This record gives sequence, structure tokens and C-alpha cells, in this order.
Amino acid sequence: MMTDIVIETKGLTKTIGGRNVVDKLDLKIKRGEIYGFLGPNGAGKTTTIRMLLGLTKPSSGEVRLFGKSIGKERVALLRKVGSLVEYPSYYGHLNAIENLETIRLLLPGVKKSRIDEVLSIVRLTKDAKRMVKGYSLGMKQRLGIAAALLGEPELLILDEPTNGLDPSGIIEIRELIRSMPARYGLTVLLSSHLLSEVGQMATEVGIVTKGKLIFQDQLEVLKGRSKQQIHIGLDDRQRALSLLHANGFKAELSGGSLYVPQGDDKRIAAIVRMLVQQGLEVSRVEEQGDSLESVFLHMTGGEGEL
Amino acid sequence: MGNILASEFLKLRRKMVWFLVVIGPTGVIALQALNYGLRFDFLMKQYASDPWGYLMINVSNLLVPALLMGMTIISSMIASLEHQTNAWKQTVALPVGRTRLYLGKFGVTALLLLGSTTLAMVGTILLGLLLGHELEALPWKSLLIAMYGSFLSALPYLAVQVWLSVAISNQAVPLTIGIAGLVVSIFVLNGPSSLDWLPWKWPFLVRAEPMYSMVAGLLTGAVFYLLGTIHFVRKDVG
Repeated sequence: MMTDIVIETKGLTKTIGGRNVVDKLDLKIKRGEIYGFLGPNGAGKTTTIRMLLGLTKPSSGEVRLFGKSIGKERVALLRKVGSLVEYPSYYGHLNAIENLETIRLLLPGVKKSRIDEVLSIVRLTKDAKRMVKGYSLGMKQRLGIAAALLGEPELLILDEPTNGLDPSGIIEIRELIRSMPARYGLTVLLSSHLLSEVGQMATEVGIVTKGKLIFQDQLEVLKGRSKQQIHIGLDDRQRALSLLHANGFKAELSGGSLYVPQGDDKRIAAIVRMLVQQGLEVSRVEEQGDSLESVFLHMTGGEGEL
Repeated sequence: MGNILASEFLKLRRKMVWFLVVIGPTGVIALQALNYGLRFDFLMKQYASDPWGYLMINVSNLLVPALLMGMTIISSMIASLEHQTNAWKQTVALPVGRTRLYLGKFGVTALLLLGSTTLAMVGTILLGLLLGHELEALPWKSLLIAMYGSFLSALPYLAVQVWLSVAISNQAVPLTIGIAGLVVSIFVLNGPSSLDWLPWKWPFLVRAEPMYSMVAGLLTGAVFYLLGTIHFVRKDVG
């Protein structure tokens, strides 16, 4: 293991039509991480990924993969990278095996048996002999992931891998991605405009908006920034508030609802027990789940989709 | 390089390209068979002095336009394989240099058309034998020049078509330019020798001026191939 930094960009910039689509981006991704690359639509995620893969040349700045500059050793470095950029690419008139074979032929040292392996990883073995043009979008997406895994990469770059998938497809791909670092020891870069989705897979998060990186740290840090609150639904809120304050618990009324700060389970249980024992009717105790999203919205200036 | 070509040929499985490769030369030979069949006695008398030579002229007068048309269509079909689902972003992200990828695209197109040319040559020989021409009298050198010489002198045309087809995703552009080129070449084919510098004339000129046409075709083709490669290497993909 030469270096523990798998992807590093320094001042990465791409100017298209006088606008900095990607603006002095400094990414740093460590080995074994699942890195969630987040941002609203049009923030420059795909452009960044294209530069990481050498599909597009940066206007300025540098991309280093495995500690080496992609400008100089592109072909050797790409041997260790599997990628799926935006929507999947495929040859519709070929079946899944033939599609993968066109790629395998260009990957030195990959045995034919590897095609069956990756097909079973993405669970396409049954449909392997069908022409790909008859596949559903989810199957095409899975074929794209199989193609990315074909060369047993050390780094997997997936751009919006769950785009356009139905809920069961999303769960399937999510489980697949989540299991990868543990099972195959690889590093994953995953882009998305959905925080909720990346939040369930990523260990490390980078948030980009208008081409600039505005946050890069562990997911836990991002979660810490969100003021997680517990909403308690009950009948007499005023009385509950004074009771809580009297017993030394923090609480606030906002918009007619009662909130207590997120905390360890014991403390929440104690609050609920106390309220019930005082004869209040507690009908709901729920986590305010959207607050992570609102942190994201706040960071990205509240624009674009989530 | 072998692997790149193998990969390119695999992509052509179940594709119309193969039909075109066979139907082009077959059609040319069939038309000439019809031509000879309809007025066999007249033509045999007319061509008595050099039956093989006239047969080659007749075949290649149809073959060259068919070859140019084939170069246009097949280049476009080969490039379309990648354009359709923008598979370029997948292919270019593989550990293969772009120079080699471009060579693969050009190579597979050229090989298919060489196959067609070979079929046309075999067809010409078979037709000649069928017409009763003697194999011993067959002028091999002229035949090779009429067939592969036409191909070599049409290389600039092929190089431009591959370049345009790969560079522009809207295939209407290369197809239009290719067909326009074909019209120009038919227009100038009987033109004065002051127009011999026109690349569109070379595939027809090759029987009269083989060395000039083939060398000019090869060199000009190489220049356009190189320009296409440079453009592809620098191009932003995705």
C-alpha cells in the first residue's frame, strides 16, 4: 500500500463558456471509504467525475489517483478504476455476456470467468443471454455496475447509480454498494443529489455547489451539524413544557409543537415516563428526520432539488 | 491491438453491417452479370480485343461509387455503436490509449471494406470465367490495381468519414458530407486532367494513373487519419 489517499484533486477547475463549472476543487478520498459526493443538479459533480476519469481535461489544477497524476499515467491508473458515469452505456443488440466481453477484451489480465462472477454479483445471471435493449433501466444500471467491477478495481466511481431506479432497485444497489469495501476492499466514490440516499451508504461526505466544495468530512460531522430534535405530541403542551423545565430537561415550544433535543435513549425514556406519570397523554414521540436535509439545503443555498 | 479489433468485431454481432459488406460487391457483380447477359453477343464482339480489361472497367465503374457509399455508411454505423448510448464515456475510461481506440475504429471499418473489395475481386474473376474469358489471360496486376488500388486511393475519403462520424454524434452530418463527396466524385470522374489533384477523382483515376493515385491516396489518407486521431485524443468525452 503506497498511499492511503486514493483520490486527490488540487485546485481542480473546469471552465466552460467562461463559467467555472468546477471551481478550485480540493477533494481527498482515503482508501476503503465510501465517499458521498453531493450537490444539487448542475453543481459540477459529473464534470468533476469526468475529469477524475480523464474523459475531460481540467482547465487548471490536477487530479491524482493512487498518488500519481492522471495527466501522465492515465492508462495505467485507469486499470485500477471501474466507473459508471451518469446513465449506463451498453450495446443494445448484444446480450449481457457479450457486452461485458467487449470490455473484458480491453482489460489486461481479466479472465473470462470473471464475467460470470460480476453477473452474479449484480444478480443478472438469469438474464445474461437476453439482449440488453430489452432490459429495464434498473437492469441496465446493474449491468453498468457489473462492467465497472469487471476489472476488479481498487476504486469504483459511480455517478448517480440509483438515478431512475424504482425503490426496490435503489435498495438493491444500496446494499450492493454498502457491502463493497468490506467484501472487495475497494474505495467507492458515489455522486448523488439525494442526501438521504448517500446518508445511508457513505462514510465520508463532500458537498459541492456551484462548482465549489463547501463541506468535506465524515458523515457523522454533517449529522452533528443538524440540530436533531425529538418531537413529542401530547394534549397539554404548556403544562408539559413547565414540567420539563422544572425537572431540568431542555425543551421548547415551536409552532405549537413541543420539541426536546436529541439525546441518548435513557434520557428520552425518562422524559416520556415522567410525562406519562404526570397524567399527560403522549401520542407521538418522533425524530425530526428532515433536519439533515435542511442542513444540506442551507449549505447549498436552498436551491436546486434534493 | 488484436484485442481492440476483437472487441470491435464483437460489437458488430447481429448487425446490418455484415449484410452491407456482402450485398455491396454482390450487387455490383450482379448488375454487370445482367449487363453482359442482356447483350452478350454485342459486348463480346465489342470487347474481343481485351475481354478482361473491359470487364474490369465495367465492374470498377460501379464498384468505386459503391465503395465510397460503403465507406460513408459503414463508418457511420461503426461510430453509431458508441454514440447511441454514449458508450464513449465507458470505452474511453478503459485502460486503453485513445490513439489505439481510434485506430480500432478506423481499423475495423477499413477491414470490412477491404473484405467487400476482396469479394468484388473474386466476383469479377468468377463472372469473367462464366463469360468464357480464359483464366490464363487474366491480367492480375491490372485487376489488383482496379480493386485494391481503388481502395487505397479512396483512403482520404475513408479517413474523413471515420473522423466526422466519430467526432459528431449527429450522424446526419457525416452522411450528408459523404454523399455530397460521392456526387462530386461522379461529377469529376470524366473531368479534364487539370482536375487530377482532386482526391475525389483518385479512385477513378487509379486505372489510368495507378502510382500517382495510390501514393496520393495513401499520403492524404494518412494526413486525415492523423488529424482525426489528434482531434479524438484532445476531445472532451461524456
